[in-house]
Amino acid sequence: MKRINTEILVIGGGATGTGIAWDAALRGFAVALVERRDLTHGTTGRYHGLLHSGGRYVVKDPQSAVECIQENRTLRHTHAHCIEETGGLFVVTPEDEGDFPDLFVQGCAETGVPCNEISVAAALRREPLLNPRISRVFEVPDGSADSFLATHATAQAARQAGARILTYHAVTGLLVTGGDGDKRVVGARVMDAVSGEEIHIHAAMVINATGAWAGRITGMVGIPISVIPGKGTMVAMNHRLVNTVINRCKMPADGDIIVPVHTVAVIGTTDERVADPENLRIEPWEVQLMLDEGEKLVPGISRARVVRAWAGVRPLYQEDYTGDSRDATRKFALLDHQRGHGVAGLITITGGKWTTFRLMAEKTVDLAVDYLGERQPCRTASTQVPGAEQGHYWLGHRLHEIEEEHLQGELICECELVTRTMIENAAKRNPTVTLDDIRRDVRLGMGPCQGGFCTYRAVGILHELARQAEGAGPTEEETKEGTERDAAWEVAYLQSPRHNLSADERPARDEAGLQPNLLLRDFLQERWKGVTPILWGRQLKQERLDELIYLNLMNADHLPQTGEKSPLTDFYLYDATPNEQTEAPA
Amino acid sequence: MIDYLVMGAGLSGLMSAYAAVQSGHRVKVIAKGLGALHWGAGSIDVLGYLPQARDAVVRRPLERLADLPANHPYTILGPAAVQDGLDKFMRLTEELGLPYYGAEAAGENLLLPSPAGALRPAFLAPAAQSAGTASDDAPMLIVGFERLRDFYPELIAENLTRQGIAARAVKLPYELLSDRRDANTVQLAQELDDENRTERLAEFLREAVRPGERIGLPALLGLARHAQVVTRLALAAGAPVFEIPTLPPSVPGIRLFNTLRAGLEARGVRVEAGMEVIEMNAEEGVIRWVASETSARPLRHSAERFVLATGGILGGGFMSDHTGRIWETVFDLPLTTPQSRSQWFRPAFLAPDGHPVFQGGVRVNAAFQPVDAQGAPCFANLHVVGGALAGCDPLAERSLEGLAIATGMNLLKE
Ligand SMILES: Cc1cc2nc3c(=O)[nH]c(=O)nc-3n(C[C@H](O)[C@H](O)[C@H](O)COP(=O)(O)OP(=O)(O)OC[C@H]3O[C@@H](n4cnc5c(N)ncnc54)[C@H](O)[C@@H]3O)c2cc1C
Repeated sequence: MKRINTEILVIGGGATGTGIAWDAALRGFAVALVERRDLTHGTTGRYHGLLHSGGRYVVKDPQSAVECIQENRTLRHTHAHCIEETGGLFVVTPEDEGDFPDLFVQGCAETGVPCNEISVAAALRREPLLNPRISRVFEVPDGSADSFLATHATAQAARQAGARILTYHAVTGLLVTGGDGDKRVVGARVMDAVSGEEIHIHAAMVINATGAWAGRITGMVGIPISVIPGKGTMVAMNHRLVNTVINRCKMPADGDIIVPVHTVAVIGTTDERVADPENLRIEPWEVQLMLDEGEKLVPGISRARVVRAWAGVRPLYQEDYTGDSRDATRKFALLDHQRGHGVAGLITITGGKWTTFRLMAEKTVDLAVDYLGERQPCRTASTQVPGAEQGHYWLGHRLHEIEEEHLQGELICECELVTRTMIENAAKRNPTVTLDDIRRDVRLGMGPCQGGFCTYRAVGILHELARQAEGAGPTEEETKEGTERDAAWEVAYLQSPRHNLSADERPARDEAGLQPNLLLRDFLQERWKGVTPILWGRQLKQERLDELIYLNLMNADHLPQTGEKSPLTDFYLYDATPNEQTEAPA
Repeated sequence: MIDYLVMGAGLSGLMSAYAAVQSGHRVKVIAKGLGALHWGAGSIDVLGYLPQARDAVVRRPLERLADLPANHPYTILGPAAVQDGLDKFMRLTEELGLPYYGAEAAGENLLLPSPAGALRPAFLAPAAQSAGTASDDAPMLIVGFERLRDFYPELIAENLTRQGIAARAVKLPYELLSDRRDANTVQLAQELDDENRTERLAEFLREAVRPGERIGLPALLGLARHAQVVTRLALAAGAPVFEIPTLPPSVPGIRLFNTLRAGLEARGVRVEAGMEVIEMNAEEGVIRWVASETSARPLRHSAERFVLATGGILGGGFMSDHTGRIWETVFDLPLTTPQSRSQWFRPAFLAPDGHPVFQGGVRVNAAFQPVDAQGAPCFANLHVVGGALAGCDPLAERSLEGLAIATGMNLLKE
């Protein structure tokens, strides 16, 4: 059994955990982060994509609004390339009567969220598909943010500051000393999901940043915190029907925001309590509700083609916690289990928003410092992550680079404009266990054809890389670092065709022993899971064409190795059948 | 007035037109698109896997038709008619210069390498593909091209090796195929029609091949001059050459389509694409005309009899919406498909029993006329062929082309 010693162990590779690893490493702590799957596997990779201006919260939760606008400004600097400056509009539709718009204006003034009323005519010039029957429009600095890129970039920054990032490593238990009254968490038992090996990671402080799963970690030492998962469903439309974030100007509710994200527009979300944060089924009524609500903002949106639906979970923390609360707001919970439950060495951070992840990380490490002693001050608010020097994302950047560099012939995913070398470099610079990992790096398979062509091509390319690696033998760096999959995190330029004109010299990292047929099956299943809730009309025909390719042409269901499994095979295989319920519960 | 108006230019539509014109009728084909041939492997799959036993490949498809359900189109036709349709298809393609072959052991499925290196059961394949059969034990040299995105020779060779078939891979320079980086497979095939290109490629093949090997290449060995290209390559390389299909567009499928279309046109049948049928008119259970959308105003087509060959969901013959409604787009014929989305899919994409939404279709009587719930024909002068038929999932059971040929060629069978 392997043993690792560190000062701070972070559990959870979402925005929050990765932000904590970055913050703590910059302050000079020795840090290890474990994530049981790939980074952003949790809520962070399934969110709506909105960089909040705070406008949504000015009436309901002014403190959150203040934090959002502050962090909105900070992230535009630290994570510039992960953000598109779309701006946002709050629109008053015929259904949104009453005094909310006036309260909204007043709330913006009080919380410092810049808000500018513009004419309906000006709004329609900017967004021609917007409902022409709206009566008032307010402009706010909302943005669109890529959480895959941001989290991976934060991880790279953390690594550069000395942190170790271990993906596909799951905490299965906590290491504890002492008994009732003087219990202390001194580390965690961790399972390497790829090799099956157990590792003990010893740490002076364990930080539980597992979001909706937080109660499962504290439960391992008998601390009963109640975190109820609240499921939110989103649907992505085939086109970018709007180029600005569109919010309903009313008390926050279901389906009242449309966010332009890369090539698509996403309507969200619902909020449904569920028993298990893992098996998220999307019901037909949820998709219908999103389309119906979207219709009020952009008439006709429900007749456009839907490419995919997915769900994320909000951790709904129950406030029965008695300790000395250092909550910055009611919206995220920072739990000091020494003061709260008499268990030393463990802190839990859960809830909040993607937009405020950096602030949450700062507060969390501040609390750890109370126990571990002062180091350098927090520097994350003024430190740019690698890649930020490219400036803000803009929609046309890939197409522009592809055309300028004449890369049309290199496209592997035509929908999302991913070139061969982008895939090769993603596989060389980051740990890759499934094709889903590559999807998060370069957006492979996320467009209208949902992987029909690019799944086979990407498998072919990764297989070629693995064969080359077999021939090349381990590099010097790999021998030094052993078989750990934390060797590389280089994401800064993965999204740019121009910065990937040639493949890296180094061989691909094939630690898991690449199984092409398994990669193929897993990714087809992953895509299937995302499309079944929205398959009808032209998208159903598209799916049948994909079947023609993978059944009749490839015979993919009769490839050798049918019994093989990846750490994610079972996850993709969850029951995707929607149930009979067609109405939202009352 | 014409005798038969065929709607749909996929394989089933073309076969129906052929059957009708051979019997001396006046025929016209109109279609929105060009059908699944452009997407598939270009082979004729008759039956590869039985619905209840998708693990075991069917060895002798025509002998297993009896194991299919009673409402399966093959069962309705009967094995003799299926065999007869396939025989006619072989004679026709031979006559048109694009011969198709079956396994050496007559009646058996060929097992041919797929672009992923699995073995796909096909009953008939174009000459260039049938030479890749797994029953031949000559080792394979799988030849790909650097940076050709639709074909991965190492993946194919490795999977074949795993299944006990001797195979190795090499990659040749892309420039042998084209000077254009972004050409698709059809454009590459056209470039190989050029004799100089064929000669240069042949030189490289001669260098690469070892004695006793046969050479598997991506299916882009010429379009108009395909047969000559293959012969020339084999002769110059001194080894048998065969094709393995690629990702779409399917060059073998397009060759077949072009060949059949030319054959029909030589018999006086017009095949008009870009015509979506948007309206129909019937009186007392007899269809008078259908109207197709054109850039100007709708065009009416009258005929004595009508053939629906629009291919179900895959061909665009059925539409559906988010409420779970699914309908046949021209005549709104009754469908057996479950009318609730919650019953459409199974949790696994590669579910062994396929997905219920793709198994439904139009119910027909013995004359392949669509019938209502009571079994009465919906219209007196309408026939349905191919992928729109109920009682089967032609992709899951690998019967797509076999069904098209069998139902199309038997259009006039009493
Ligand atoms: C539907 C929805 C839409 C949202 N939209 C927005 C938005 O538009 N803008 C915004 O600012 N915020 C949004 N949010 C909020 C935001 O997404 C979350 O606040 C944020 O992503 C939470 O990040 P996290 O790191 O705390 O949790 P997570 O991202 O869930 O990370 C927790 C991680 O812990 C891992 N883990 C769990 N158990 C273990 C274990 N035993 N061992 C190792 N690892 C483990 C999980 O795999 C997971 O990756 C949205 C939330 C939801 C639910």
